[in-house]
Amino acid sequence: MNDVDAGMESLIEAFIYETNELLDQLDEILLESEKAKTISENNINSIFRITHTIKGSAAMLEYEGMSTLAHAVEDVFYIIREDIAKLDIVFDELFDLVFQASDFLRKEITAIQSGEYTPADASELVKSFHEQAAIMKGEAAAPAQTAPAAASAAVPAAESGALIEDNNAFRVRVFFEDGCQMENMRSFMLISQLQGCCGLVESIPAHPENDSSLSAEIIQNGLILICHNFDSEDEVLKTVEQALNIKSYEILSAEDVPSAKQAEQPAEPAREEVPAAAPAAASAPAPKAAAPAAAEKAAPATKAAVKQSLVSVHQSKLDHLMDLVGEIVTAESMVARDPDLEGLRLDHFTKSVRELRKLTDELQDVVMSIRMLPLHGTFQKMGRIVRDMAKKLGKQAELVTFGGDTEMDKTINDAIADPLMHMIRNSMDHAIELPDERVANGKPAMGKVILSARNVGGEILLDVSDDGCGLDPKKLLSKAKDKGLLTKPESEYTDKEAYQLIMLPGFSTNQEVTEYSGRGVGMDVVRKNIEKVGGSISINSELGKGSTFTIKIPLTLAIVDGMNLAIGDTVFTLPITSIKQSFKMTSPEQVIKNSNGTEMIMVRGECLPILRLHQMYQIEPRHSDIMDGILIQIENSTANACIFADELLGEYQVVVKPFPKFFNKYDLKAQGLSGCSILGDGTVSLILDANTIINNL
Amino acid sequence: MAGEVLNIEQDKQFELEDRFLLFYINEMLHSVELRYVLEIITVQRVTHLPNLPEYIKGIINLRGKVIPVIDMRMKLGLEERAYDDKTCIVVIDINEMHIGLIVDSVSEVVTISKGSISATPPGDVAAKYIASISTHNEGTVLNIDCEKLFVNDLDTVAAN
Repeated sequence: MNDVDAGMESLIEAFIYETNELLDQLDEILLESEKAKTISENNINSIFRITHTIKGSAAMLEYEGMSTLAHAVEDVFYIIREDIAKLDIVFDELFDLVFQASDFLRKEITAIQSGEYTPADASELVKSFHEQAAIMKGEAAAPAQTAPAAASAAVPAAESGALIEDNNAFRVRVFFEDGCQMENMRSFMLISQLQGCCGLVESIPAHPENDSSLSAEIIQNGLILICHNFDSEDEVLKTVEQALNIKSYEILSAEDVPSAKQAEQPAEPAREEVPAAAPAAASAPAPKAAAPAAAEKAAPATKAAVKQSLVSVHQSKLDHLMDLVGEIVTAESMVARDPDLEGLRLDHFTKSVRELRKLTDELQDVVMSIRMLPLHGTFQKMGRIVRDMAKKLGKQAELVTFGGDTEMDKTINDAIADPLMHMIRNSMDHAIELPDERVANGKPAMGKVILSARNVGGEILLDVSDDGCGLDPKKLLSKAKDKGLLTKPESEYTDKEAYQLIMLPGFSTNQEVTEYSGRGVGMDVVRKNIEKVGGSISINSELGKGSTFTIKIPLTLAIVDGMNLAIGDTVFTLPITSIKQSFKMTSPEQVIKNSNGTEMIMVRGECLPILRLHQMYQIEPRHSDIMDGILIQIENSTANACIFADELLGEYQVVVKPFPKFFNKYDLKAQGLSGCSILGDGTVSLILDANTIINNL
Repeated sequence: MAGEVLNIEQDKQFELEDRFLLFYINEMLHSVELRYVLEIITVQRVTHLPNLPEYIKGIINLRGKVIPVIDMRMKLGLEERAYDDKTCIVVIDINEMHIGLIVDSVSEVVTISKGSISATPPGDVAAKYIASISTHNEGTVLNIDCEKLFVNDLDTVAAN
């Protein structure tokens, strides 16, 4: 009994993963097609494949609502595939409906994931789909259920006939584990999986998913799979081996297969034909207006072809691997800088260490690259938000994205999705004007939200810009004044400082609270989330022309280039990215002392506060005279400061480790310590967070 | 297969039952249950962390793992003492959290039968951490309750 549960669980997990991927693909196709006001044959086939797979898997797991809904979508696209002209009759309604269906399925998936799944009612949506189908078919309004039957009949007989003659076909008989239940659905899953590496798969009994009574037959005789146009026998067998709950399988010769197959044949390939058609059609993509759009479009089709070489790995394993690599990097520098070897002439050893270094560097790069995900997926979700909000708010806007192939650490990728979404919503809600207003201001009616990413050094720069109304510093200031958020006289604020005001807690520029934004928890949450992953955000705007929000984010969290500083016996690591310069004081007069005991220094005409880390962290320093130690100028997105340390120890690559859970109670992050790291000699250094230190001033 | 694993687990449990690690704090024998103990290491350089209670000395690197270390003398409200050759760090595991306890010196591992354990007298200050008292070689042993010892710190960890 336990076995069944475990089997089911991994099935559900696979289902959730697969369906999410498919829905992402679906959304992408829909958005692109809606923009183009037409849909290519290739995309219709893809939609067919997506809905078909969802239908099958959902039915197997007995999620009936999802299955019928996917079925309804499939029906509608069947009609469109037959006669694409019919699409024009119901274009807008249909796309809205399919988007709704996609949302419905997503919601269900989330519910299943949360573990508290109660099936929602899809019948309303299904009904709407049937109505659209009826409209497209004209007044005939035949029941939609006939569509799949028609599909089977539509397959040219010649094609299926030719396949029977196929002497090269590869035949496998598969037995499922005893008592694994739902053998018919498992068979269907297996057949679907095999379609990844075979042109066409037939089975005996045929169409196991349609009739649960076939389970008995499968238990008794096994499931016979006949694969045509397969890539390699090994590939087929591997797929079979990797499938769930397979007890055993045997390879059959052509004679072993009962002739009953002949009888089964005519109805057979109808369904299987659809997925097979998708990759084939990919070679001839329909011409597209914009070049990038065409490239995007080809992606889902090629995906099907490369799928077999992908392995999905649990993130915890990657994290573990990352930890290990971190330790190897540390151990390596421990060996290379072993104090026992100091002063010795070790030509051979040095050579070996260099070789080792090269390898660990490469290993580190590879492991990092595994964790890297392109931003594409995140960007795509934003397209959906722009579309939905434009419809709801009666605005016209399009999302233009650049640099979707920029890669980022998975953790960071996940962390920025929410802030990005919030900013796009803000742009749509507050910045982009209504079409009439835009035209009156001499702008095109169609607004533009641009989302771009680029890799600059060790950082990613993400720009969210719009050509909306821009930020008005005067308005921002007067509002901040009303809310008591100003810290100095109004006249002293520069425009840039005024823009920063919108990121203060409790500041929201819209008078009304709308469905999407304006709850007063807007930009400050965005800023907090971005800072959590070590990023920063800055704003640029021109009144009436638009605004640009720039997010600067580190490529990865796990390993940073840092400068080690010594203060007393404690070693601190300061990320190189936050260091502007370091310098020795030339004369004690450079220091300006405030009445409250704080110190400042003039650096290139700028007056910067001096922070004595030893005072902040109560450490006994070696130098307390500012002339003896060294000053390091650090910066965040808004301000600069100087920190005072005993000496610089050099530049190191360090692996960031979080503080032990034990310290959760004592908020070390708030004190400007973002984590710790193990140095080559085995001691622990504390990693400084320049951003928090400056903000604490 | 599963049965075998279970047996090993049971053996391990059996092996550790009634076993205690004895160590000295301020010339008094203390003990913790052996099942909590991971290993005993010599004192090494501790990286101090700012603005923490005095008894938390900081963090050390234990083969790539960063663990907090606590001075048991100070935790029990005693005077701090300079560390010497005998000073040890006893690394324990409470709820999968590793913590190093700095003790004056480690004595031995002994079996203390349940019969020779008696409850602490009520009202004692140290009773917050002392689970029970037992005798060993005619000396008195204070048995430390690891869970109680860190109840303040563990509370928040659980909440987080």
